[in-house]
Amino acid sequence: MIAFLSPLFLVGAAAAVIPVVLHLLQRRPEQRVRFAAVTFLKAAPVEHTSRRRLREWLLLMLRVAALVLLALAFARPFFRSAAASGAGTTVVALDTSYSMSAPGRFERARDLARDAIRTAALGDDVAVVTFADRADVVVRPTSDRAAAAAAIDAVTPGFGSTRYRAGLTAAGSLTGGRRATIVVVTDLQESGWDAGEHASVPGGTRVEIRDVGGLPDNLAITSLRVVADRAIATIRNSGSRKRQVRARSSVDGNAATETVVAIEAHESSDAVLAPVRAARAAAGDAGVLAVRIDDPDGIQADNVRYAWISGPTRPAVLVATTSGDLSRDAFYLQQALAAGRSGERPDVLGVSAAQLSAWSLEQVGRHAVVVLVSTRGLEPRGRQTLASYVAAGGGLLIAAGPDVDGDVVGDVLGAGARLKLAAPASTAGDEAARPAMTLAPADVRHPIVQAFGADAASLGLVRFRNAARIGGPTCQALAKFTSGDAAIVDCAAGAGRAVVVASDLNNRWNDFPVRASFVPFVHEAVRYLSTSTTRSTEYIVGGLPPGVPPVAGVAILPPQRGSADRARRIVVNVDSRESDPARISVDEFQAALTRLKADSAIEARTSVGDQESRQHLWQLLLGAMLVTLAVEGVIAARSA
Amino acid sequence: MPGSARDRQFLDPAVVARLGTLELRARTVVEGFLSGLHRSPFKGFSVEFAEYRQYIHGDDLSTIDWKVFARSDRYYVKKFEEETNVDCHLMVDVSGSMAYGSRGITKFEYAACLAASLGYLMNRQRDGVGLTAFDERIVAALPVSTRPGHLRNLLITLDRLALGSRTNVAKPLHQLAGLMNRRGMVVLISDLLDDPDEVVRGLKHFQYRGSDVIVFHVLDPDELEFPFDKTTRFEDLETSEEVLAVPGLVRSHYLQQMSGLIERYRRELGSAGIDYQLLSTKQPLEMALLAYLSTRSRTA
Repeated sequence: MIAFLSPLFLVGAAAAVIPVVLHLLQRRPEQRVRFAAVTFLKAAPVEHTSRRRLREWLLLMLRVAALVLLALAFARPFFRSAAASGAGTTVVALDTSYSMSAPGRFERARDLARDAIRTAALGDDVAVVTFADRADVVVRPTSDRAAAAAAIDAVTPGFGSTRYRAGLTAAGSLTGGRRATIVVVTDLQESGWDAGEHASVPGGTRVEIRDVGGLPDNLAITSLRVVADRAIATIRNSGSRKRQVRARSSVDGNAATETVVAIEAHESSDAVLAPVRAARAAAGDAGVLAVRIDDPDGIQADNVRYAWISGPTRPAVLVATTSGDLSRDAFYLQQALAAGRSGERPDVLGVSAAQLSAWSLEQVGRHAVVVLVSTRGLEPRGRQTLASYVAAGGGLLIAAGPDVDGDVVGDVLGAGARLKLAAPASTAGDEAARPAMTLAPADVRHPIVQAFGADAASLGLVRFRNAARIGGPTCQALAKFTSGDAAIVDCAAGAGRAVVVASDLNNRWNDFPVRASFVPFVHEAVRYLSTSTTRSTEYIVGGLPPGVPPVAGVAILPPQRGSADRARRIVVNVDSRESDPARISVDEFQAALTRLKADSAIEARTSVGDQESRQHLWQLLLGAMLVTLAVEGVIAARSA
Repeated sequence: MPGSARDRQFLDPAVVARLGTLELRARTVVEGFLSGLHRSPFKGFSVEFAEYRQYIHGDDLSTIDWKVFARSDRYYVKKFEEETNVDCHLMVDVSGSMAYGSRGITKFEYAACLAASLGYLMNRQRDGVGLTAFDERIVAALPVSTRPGHLRNLLITLDRLALGSRTNVAKPLHQLAGLMNRRGMVVLISDLLDDPDEVVRGLKHFQYRGSDVIVFHVLDPDELEFPFDKTTRFEDLETSEEVLAVPGLVRSHYLQQMSGLIERYRRELGSAGIDYQLLSTKQPLEMALLAYLSTRSRTA
């Protein structure tokens, strides 16, 4: 049955009357003469009326046909399949999260999925979707149930975590606005829904749950961190009995150490593996630490966890000032950066803004963080270099004091950041009379603020006599003044970040440098900027950047577009939430579903749009119209 | 041009056509023509010019003119007037194609006026005159007669003629030739838009019967010159068939065809001893009368 994606365009077919009207209006424009010697004209190279009339009708029909074809092409016709117009669709959404990898569980899941295919309503198309962190359409709606069953046989569980919403959205997109049943084959883990999360399915779609069953007794390494010289692995026992767990560590595949911990039922315990120093040294001061436990009857993917270990790092910090003399232009900052343990202090280099203008991107790129306390003398080339540095993932700390020009900062962060930095309106003479401002944390979850912990309130002791106005749509306020203006913002710029303080860091507009919170703030800001996400070495399967397969273990991260980084090794862990045995009931699952009529209509339209786009009939019609016009042109030229 | 100067002293056919009755038209043409003929070599044919010849053995003795014998002492035989005159058959084409006219007079009107004028002239000279009108068949026929009231009948017949349908010149020619029992003169007035072979064959039929034939080929100036300049849809007067033509493209071909037809008639009829006179409807009718008298003088 033929249908149209945009039937309103069929109204355009009314334009077909235009050539008819023109034909009628222009009919017989020539003079008529009743003549005797017509016989002599018949032999002449003239058009006989009958032939011309035939040609005129042919031209008329061709012109009408061209307009009708054009209207039809714009109406986007397609052949709606019989199934689409009447029958329904059964979509099997199969959970392939790693919680299904316990022995025997996925075989049961396959059985349930095949059963759903087999028992689908007679005449229904069937489709198969797999889902974990993301959903994949394995079999589009088809009447070939054997192919769908074969596809189910080929599916295996992966390393992702359950996300019902992804699976339901993908399944809903295949219903095509028809009567549909979505059969979700899953273990009903509670962690599959985020708090308050809902999934929308097309209206009238029935959602059935085929429960694979609860998790078996399971041991899972839920976290692994390296603290000083020790590896600490948190192991959760979700079983109903106490377990003795042997944890073994290795660095780059070389066995390091092992330990045994006893974990009560439904409890977690840390396994401390120490020392790893020798292994780290053998790995050349950097490597992949892996901790494994034995749990043959439980989920396999959570029996190992990886962490990146490296030697003590000293991020290099470049401080751009007016003269390059830190002791004069950025004394407090220099002292703050020099504080701390000797092995963890960053290397600090001062440079004048004018000199920085002559530096290459490579020279600047050797530094993990650039602190910009003055833009005086920073020429356009230097701005461009800094802009490229930030865009490629560099970190920038800007102290928007009296020596920083907002326009220059705008150039450095680029148009994408859209940071607005305006100098304070007040003059120096007014500062004494002006009431001092204090700041308060606005986002306690931000790493810089979070590092202060309960001491975050100490930031409120800082008195600001003057401050620039900062802000931008891509910037997140970490702290605000009592006036409500932003005091510290974190701005994304390209692949890098910039933390902007609305005042100086040299005890001129504020007393921040002489407060106890100054040194930790500087250190946390440098640490945060030097370990931005683009330089992270640890990922979970659900948050992998493009180009990395969703498999737990060690992977190579290809260079990201716009980044100066080279390919590097990263570690990929499974999301530990997936090991949580908490389950929800079928009713709770259903309660999280929203059936929207609008969504149904949109999905239906998307489906018919898919059908239409696959058939490309409009292209054929346009081609036919062009051929028609070409033929019309040839005939018209011959009769001119 | 001498010819043109001479034309100007005759009446414009369009003017003649606007005169009241056909008789008036004929009289106007013929009387005007004859009044200007005193300087011409044509003497006319009437009872005053009856012919005498010497008696030869076998002539009827009652035909000897004894008065002449008394004056000249020679035997002369007096030829009667009737024997010096000829029977003229006017054949007028009334087919649909004769309806065309572009200068205030159609070919049919021109032909009728010409036939009337010839009839008037013939009657005035005591020649017997008959009329046959035809399209694809004979639609009106008036036998040859010299009676005084015959001219009126002929003019009335001509006046009542209506245009017919298709042309078939040859068929009426053969029919009339078969009916003629005396040799005489046949005058065909037609546009001759027919198969030339058939037309010539029909005319030769009269010659076989011993008659002289004179053909007046009447065409409109448009047909001779094809002066059209705009794209025109030509509708055939007889068949209603339509042809759309761009005159600029077809003119040379048309004129070539038309001149070929005329030349063919002129050549084939000339070789058969048939007088052929092409007449444009813008030419004075007197030109036709001159042509007739020329032929008549040979016949007498």
